[in-house]
Amino acid sequence: MNANNNGENKGVRTIIVAGQSSERTHEVLRALRGFTNVIWPTSLESALAQTGSKDAGCLVIADDLREEPIDEFLQEARELQRNLPIFVITDPDDVAEAVSAMRHGATAVIEIPPSYAALCEEVTRAMQ
Amino acid sequence: MKDMPQTVYVVDDDDAVRNSLRMLLKSAGVHAEASASAQEFLSSYEVSQPGCLVLDVRMPGMSGLEMQHELNLRGATIPVIFITGHGDIPMAVEAMQHGAFDFLQKPFRDQELLDRVQRALARDTEYRARLRHTDRIRERLASLSPREREVLDLVTQGKANKMVAGDLGVSQRTVEIHRAHVMQKMEAGSLAELVRMMMAVSP
Repeated sequence: MNANNNGENKGVRTIIVAGQSSERTHEVLRALRGFTNVIWPTSLESALAQTGSKDAGCLVIADDLREEPIDEFLQEARELQRNLPIFVITDPDDVAEAVSAMRHGATAVIEIPPSYAALCEEVTRAMQ
Repeated sequence: MKDMPQTVYVVDDDDAVRNSLRMLLKSAGVHAEASASAQEFLSSYEVSQPGCLVLDVRMPGMSGLEMQHELNLRGATIPVIFITGHGDIPMAVEAMQHGAFDFLQKPFRDQELLDRVQRALARDTEYRARLRHTDRIRERLASLSPREREVLDLVTQGKANKMVAGDLGVSQRTVEIHRAHVMQKMEAGSLAELVRMMMAVSP
């Protein structure tokens, strides 16, 4: 499943974006053209249900969920899908939170505001 | 073989930090050794030495992250706790992606570091015990004859002696004999135990 020259991805699986996310993050994710099946569960609970599905290709945990118990969620998501790429978008000042997310199963942590380049690269690589 | 004692290796170019960490660890009853540079540490460290590492990220010459890469290349499994005064997310993510045990920002409380060191030491103990266990299984596997190995592979796939005999074109009695040798050489008390052993060494 390689990205073609237009930056579009054919035959990709679902990207699950947990949380509503900031406008900026939303915009960046929308820019990932070709990921036709992007779903936006509004709670961690429903995100977890989606994570267990066979079509799940990638999980992005948006920046508006910092108050939620992310670590526990990550652990559960990781138990459901051992190899699922999971990205957490977070506050650049919170190194401790980023480390904790990595310890609990995140593939990478990306700072707010996420850059198109950084996020596209990470997600595209993960979906290949 | 008696286990080597665990050592906490502190690598930091700052004399004051190095000395205070050494004192702190000593006060907690932990054996510690300190190095002023990555090169100094690497020149004397053998991967078989158990313990954990408390490693400064920014150091002149080889950085902590570069030293982590070098240790990975050497196949070292020692847990690494990074400490830094100027950490950011990309740096922390890189360290964790390359297998760091933890990443701690200065200033930290003494107890915070000690807790992490204890956890890292426990992880190292557990990992080395698992490694010894799988090494023993591999040694036993290596002692099997080619035919015994074939029998082992087939029986752990759930095949009955009769099916194994059919697959290998030998009599059932011959399979029974090979199977008894496999159980003996592998020191397995049951088929379930044999299956668990094979799972422990499967990639």
